[in-house]
Amino acid sequence: MAVLENPIKEVRTLQNYIDGEWVDSQGELVDVVNPATLETVARVPISTAAEFDQAVAAAQGAFEDWRRTPPLARARCLFRLKELMEQEFEELSRIQTVEHGKTIDESRGETRRGIEMVEVATGIPSLMMGNNLEDVASGIDEYLIRQPLGVFGIIGPYNFPCMVPLWFIPFALATGNTVVVKPSSEDPLSQLKLVELAEEAGFPEGVWNVVNGGRSVVGAMIEHPDIQGVCFVGSTPVAKNVIYPGCGRTGKRVIAQGGAKNFGLVMPDADLPHTIAGCMTSFFGNAGQRCLANANLVVVGEGMTESELDAYYEQVVEAFVASARRITIGNGLDEAVQMGPLRDPGKKANVVRYIEQGIAEGATLCLDGREFALVGDYPKDAFLGPTVFTDVTPEMTIAREEIFGPVAAILKARSLDEAIAMIHANPFGNAASIFTDSGKWAREFQYRTRCGNIGINIGLVAPMAFFPFSGMKDSFVGVLHGQGQDTIRFFTESKVVIQRWF
Amino acid sequence: MEQLTAAAVISFSERLQEVSARFYQDLAAAYPPHRAAAADYATRCERDKTQIVRTYRETVTDALETGYSFAGLTLPAGLLEASVPAGDWEAARERAAALEEGAAAFYEEVATRSAALLATIPRAFRRVAERRARQAAAWREMA
Repeated sequence: MAVLENPIKEVRTLQNYIDGEWVDSQGELVDVVNPATLETVARVPISTAAEFDQAVAAAQGAFEDWRRTPPLARARCLFRLKELMEQEFEELSRIQTVEHGKTIDESRGETRRGIEMVEVATGIPSLMMGNNLEDVASGIDEYLIRQPLGVFGIIGPYNFPCMVPLWFIPFALATGNTVVVKPSSEDPLSQLKLVELAEEAGFPEGVWNVVNGGRSVVGAMIEHPDIQGVCFVGSTPVAKNVIYPGCGRTGKRVIAQGGAKNFGLVMPDADLPHTIAGCMTSFFGNAGQRCLANANLVVVGEGMTESELDAYYEQVVEAFVASARRITIGNGLDEAVQMGPLRDPGKKANVVRYIEQGIAEGATLCLDGREFALVGDYPKDAFLGPTVFTDVTPEMTIAREEIFGPVAAILKARSLDEAIAMIHANPFGNAASIFTDSGKWAREFQYRTRCGNIGINIGLVAPMAFFPFSGMKDSFVGVLHGQGQDTIRFFTESKVVIQRWF
Repeated sequence: MEQLTAAAVISFSERLQEVSARFYQDLAAAYPPHRAAAADYATRCERDKTQIVRTYRETVTDALETGYSFAGLTLPAGLLEASVPAGDWEAARERAAALEEGAAAFYEEVATRSAALLATIPRAFRRVAERRARQAAAWREMA
């Protein structure tokens, strides 16, 4: 099987992109490391707050002209960007595999989802339309118009370095705003490639800026008076304790997407082969580093006796473990590989600590990901195999906390009520799935479960670009979500005009 | 049982189309009386390659959702070694028919195994399978 060519040929010191210019940063440099090979692929600057301020000034300066640019003309920039992303599809995808570690299929999927955001945002002349009503009183008409607000800050996560900022950027720009993007300092390369394409697509100077960095940039973003709103995807503690209160204090709009602990329910009538296939990508895709990854599989014995449930549980476990055991692990550029490494050895160490805790708390480790075979000759430091725990109870740490790695916990519930109660007892509410042939159970699950994204016979509940990427409880803070109509409302002010002519 | 990723299956399909196109270019050069048909098949192979890759890229997220549907599929690596026999039209015709039959069977199997994906993926493969089966029949009829 082919190992694809690495598109990164030299170790570059990355620059910021401010006001249409590539500029060096004065900040310290940090290595960007390919987790599959542990080779340094770039050096990223941790930019200063002053450099961020320069980017905001550029974005603010570009705003008035950009908002006056007709929506169709703004959309044309997006059309050109989409075309360039299609042309550079393979390079964009391979960059993600090198910077993050995910498999090439996963990277291509991420690129595609990113393109879909751009495609949907090109519909802005329709999406942004207001509405009106004649004769709200005698001779008086009233109408609503949507206006852009100014400069938005966008903070990207490491797990989807290319796609997640695109949940916001195309919509922010299409609605006439300007942006300053801070990519994850762990894997910033695909964002810099994207802004290269944006430059070629003809976005005016200052409309789309990128400032590499870490906490100092985030802090500056929250405090800056010209930043109208912040879009953040990352951990729940940062979302809840830093981004949300900071934006509240400074009067900014906010979308803050946090962590997750997602449940998948397997009902007695589930189509097991399809269920297990869906579970593999859901639990182990992206090496489990997804806020939509299922982490807890609950075998539900609705209508079964205890012994029938025990037998069904064993049947599900056997099929699940057999599939998980076959997953091939290695460098994501190798097309034979189904799971790449975690983003870095430190993240692997964190997941290993959870595995040890699961054992200590009495769960049965029936597939130990600490032992695995690797396709190819690579350092094992960041790799981990699929791990499966059985005999897990909801109180155990591995069933409660977000592990963000390829670890599955298989639980048991006597009824759908009990399974839903388990989900509700967990503080997160990002996604949940049910696998069943019963419309009644599916409807009940959809109706009652307090999670933002619901899957019915779907393991990976990823909303398309024209629907909001939802989330509830500790998985989301804010009001409006990224993607879809929500994001149009987020990036615009609703202005109401009431008029009468004498 | 080997499990093939979508990327691996698409890569193989690309190579098979490239090899097939080259085979027909060589056939056109070696056997002038059959140049028109062979050149036409070579062009179609290139077009199908573009179509397969485009379909995959446009629906790869669906492929990921059921990313293990290619478990048990065997890639017919022997097809990638197709070459045109010199100075023996009957042997060349037979080789072309065998290449088309092998390719048709492969694409049909991939189409069947990817039936759970969005319709565009199996449809793209099935279209290639059907065309290559027709081409196989055409070569056979010339015997």
